[in-house]
Amino acid sequence: MRISLFITCYNDTLFPETGRAVVRLLERLGVEVEFRPGQTCCGQMHANTGFRSEAFSQAKRLVRLYADAEAVVIPSSSCVAMIRDQYSGLFEELGDEALRKEFAALVPRVYELSEFLVDKLGAEDVGAYFPHRVTYHASCHGLRALQLGERPFRLLSKVRGLDLVPLENLDRCCGFGGTFSVKNAEVSSAMLTVKLENVLATGAEFCTALDNSCLMHLGGAMHRQYAGMKTIHMAQILASTQEHPAEVLG
Amino acid sequence: MSAGAEHEVIDHPILDPALAPPFPVAALPVLRNPQLRMNVAHAIDVIQAKRARLVAEKQDWQELRSAASRIKDEALENLGFYLEQFEARCTAAGGTVHWAADAADARKIILEILREEKADEVIKIKTMTSAEIQLNPYLEANGVRAYETDLAEIILQLGEGEPSHIVVPALHVNRSQVREIFARRMGIENLSDEPEALTAAARNYLRQKFLSVPTAISGANFLIAETGSVAVVESEGNGRMCLTLPRTMITLAGIEKVLPRFADLEVMLQLLARSATGERMNPYTSLWTGVTPGDGPQKFHVILLDNGRSSILARKTERQTLRCIRCAACMNACPVYRQTGGHAYGSVYPGPIGAILTPQLEQMRHAQSLPYASSLCGACFEVCPVKINIPEVLLELRARVTDQERKQVLRFFDPLYIGLRVANLIFSRARLFHLAQWAGQIGLGFFTRRDGWIHTLPGIGAKWTQTRDLRGLPKQTFHEWWAARRKESK
Amino acid sequence: MSAVADGRKLVLNCIRAATRSSSVAAEQVAGAYTVLAREYVSHGSMSAEARLERMAERLREYDAEVVECLPEELSAAIAAQLRSSGRHIFVAPPRLPAAWIAAGFEWRIDHNLPPGEIEKAEGVVTACFCGVAESGTIVVHHSAAEGRRVITLLPEWHLCVVRASQIVETLPEYFDRCKQPPALVTWISGPSATADIEMTRIKGVHGPRFLQVILVRDEC
Repeated sequence: MRISLFITCYNDTLFPETGRAVVRLLERLGVEVEFRPGQTCCGQMHANTGFRSEAFSQAKRLVRLYADAEAVVIPSSSCVAMIRDQYSGLFEELGDEALRKEFAALVPRVYELSEFLVDKLGAEDVGAYFPHRVTYHASCHGLRALQLGERPFRLLSKVRGLDLVPLENLDRCCGFGGTFSVKNAEVSSAMLTVKLENVLATGAEFCTALDNSCLMHLGGAMHRQYAGMKTIHMAQILASTQEHPAEVLG
Repeated sequence: MSAGAEHEVIDHPILDPALAPPFPVAALPVLRNPQLRMNVAHAIDVIQAKRARLVAEKQDWQELRSAASRIKDEALENLGFYLEQFEARCTAAGGTVHWAADAADARKIILEILREEKADEVIKIKTMTSAEIQLNPYLEANGVRAYETDLAEIILQLGEGEPSHIVVPALHVNRSQVREIFARRMGIENLSDEPEALTAAARNYLRQKFLSVPTAISGANFLIAETGSVAVVESEGNGRMCLTLPRTMITLAGIEKVLPRFADLEVMLQLLARSATGERMNPYTSLWTGVTPGDGPQKFHVILLDNGRSSILARKTERQTLRCIRCAACMNACPVYRQTGGHAYGSVYPGPIGAILTPQLEQMRHAQSLPYASSLCGACFEVCPVKINIPEVLLELRARVTDQERKQVLRFFDPLYIGLRVANLIFSRARLFHLAQWAGQIGLGFFTRRDGWIHTLPGIGAKWTQTRDLRGLPKQTFHEWWAARRKESK
Repeated sequence: MSAVADGRKLVLNCIRAATRSSSVAAEQVAGAYTVLAREYVSHGSMSAEARLERMAERLREYDAEVVECLPEELSAAIAAQLRSSGRHIFVAPPRLPAAWIAAGFEWRIDHNLPPGEIEKAEGVVTACFCGVAESGTIVVHHSAAEGRRVITLLPEWHLCVVRASQIVETLPEYFDRCKQPPALVTWISGPSATADIEMTRIKGVHGPRFLQVILVRDEC
């Protein structure tokens, strides 16, 4: 099985360790990973702020880049949601028939990481070892747009040594919301405070999720407040073994 | 409770979208108001819990939502037909139907009717539509006193406050604030702050009004085309008072309130109370058709109000906004509303529905900050009984607002606009993207502390760093690591 | 009023432009309407006994007082309820069954009583059209045995007689029972209430504070 990794613009720049973990994890599971160096961004930031034509040009680029990929795996549920939910509207409005066809052919081959592991590989136990107390934050795109459901829990439950603590008000948004975190910074911060209360109340060492966007927001506040908890993308937990423990940066 | 205050201050937010400050600004005083945030959180927690219990027990909840969504879409697709049918049947039953293209027309029509009736007083059932057209101040200015009869509306009217929720408009007010308002404005000594006592005070205050004021104004939850009937959903009974005792009834209804048939209520009534108040059914729902000799008002007027609705109807993605049955489930589920309450939205329609309805009613000339007052979490869509995909409409409206900005000189001074335009250029070629990453490492390197984190950023970055740190950019990007690894393995 | 006629034309033109439909034939519209998919529950599966029990349970949840009786016990049951209420002056709709007009009380039959007179009464007794068990809803069509709307509104105490044969499980079944849509309907689901002050539920704001229901077992 060969997959093409779409790392996402922000992971490439800010969280390369997540990408490294995805590669290590998938190769350990016998998946061949390729990486197309021409990749940049899926267009979500632009689409969500109202810059449709700009988002379209990025979307077109992405579809063309992966037209012949066997499968595309993305460690970011919001980017997958962008592709699944907004690309067809953009192509309807601004694209042509050929592009719409290309997209239609590609979209069934696009996977969020936990979807790929559980649905495509049929793997729940990925041989991970992470002896820490962890709580899982369900980012809104993963929860509602992708309906990831039990998948992340099933994966985490098989990680040896991991003590999973449930999070109260699991389905409440952390307040990141992309450019919302800046355009409505104060409201975003209020939402963050409320979310952090629930996260810190778990007493966990780590808060994990399938999106570094939420984690950047939560982790940024944890660091500012000397909260004694860190954030870590689930890929890094799943890639962690006794021989090669997870990279925990910052 | 503010110690030493002369009387409790209910803030005076501006709910006129043409005048209200943008959402991020309007939210600030609210975020700093612990009492208000506590009141809002408490109220919505109560309703949410009740709603969740009842939805879980309802086996066909999703099927009801689907049916309601289809029924509303069908009514909207044939709106002209159904409104004309309503008009014909209502008129045949003794009612008079008026059509108002906008708020000003609606106000004029209502005043004309009141003048004909020689009315200098009117009792009102709560209707957000009348607040939308700013009816009360207009009537006041023209010598007609409007008395609100809904408990929440009385609290707001007497306390000179503004609604912050479309179902529980005074949810931001607590009992001691209500006590103070009632004691002062109703002239009651030794009034306790027990809700029982406060409600009894309101009941006494209104009893005489109900029995003596001959003209009433209501809104409509539903208009039934097939029969020319109007349905009003309520809990307190003030609605029944207003639509039974007076001589003349005036109903103001948005054109989107029409349902094709009487039986369509079997779907809507199962969804509305569960969504709005977390009850299987609200205490009183009333339906009447024109005029019934010997029972109730003998003169009945309906004003069908457009005021921007037909422009929403015209747009493919936005049309679903008009499915709304004003249950407020969306704002109860909204994590943004939970922190800000309703006033920050600068409109009588707050929350997620307000974020899409208000700017559209204003024909996108005002309230452009509202479509951005959302983190797009989708909780609203999940609970909407008529399945309005609010995030989808928000995105559509953001695109329209951005297209407006593209034509304005202002855009050159908007750092986010510039930033996104530059980002688009950068994302168009991998080489530019990599160059920008390198530049970012250098630029942000200046702000990175020894522990590898950024604590303060200038300009728009300060919006992030005012409450959050940012981990500094790693020296090696993922794609660089990948390239290096490939080289090594060769 | 020409302003009104203009408003009508203006609004309808805007609507027609928005839906891109000119005069649509009624048959076409009706056709589109009838094919709308409805997958919700349209009738219940409870037995008559279970339905009655559910109705009683839901009514009690709303703090309505519920008693049951057999058809032959009805008049006595009504009299007993009136006695235990401690009230004496009652309003009755013009065609309330004579057997329900219990002796020993002052009755005001509603032949267009002025509101002031109704205000002086202490209670009202009526029949109803239907009961919906799922929500404990009593549906009143304001016929001559159910009374004008005002008489179930002003008095503080309302006694309503609901026959088991009138009770349906689900709301769609009530609509099924309406041969024609009625001109006046009041759906009553408990005494008047508000939760406007700190979400604390208070009963009896306007409208009857006390709802008494007699469920008549006419189906056993």
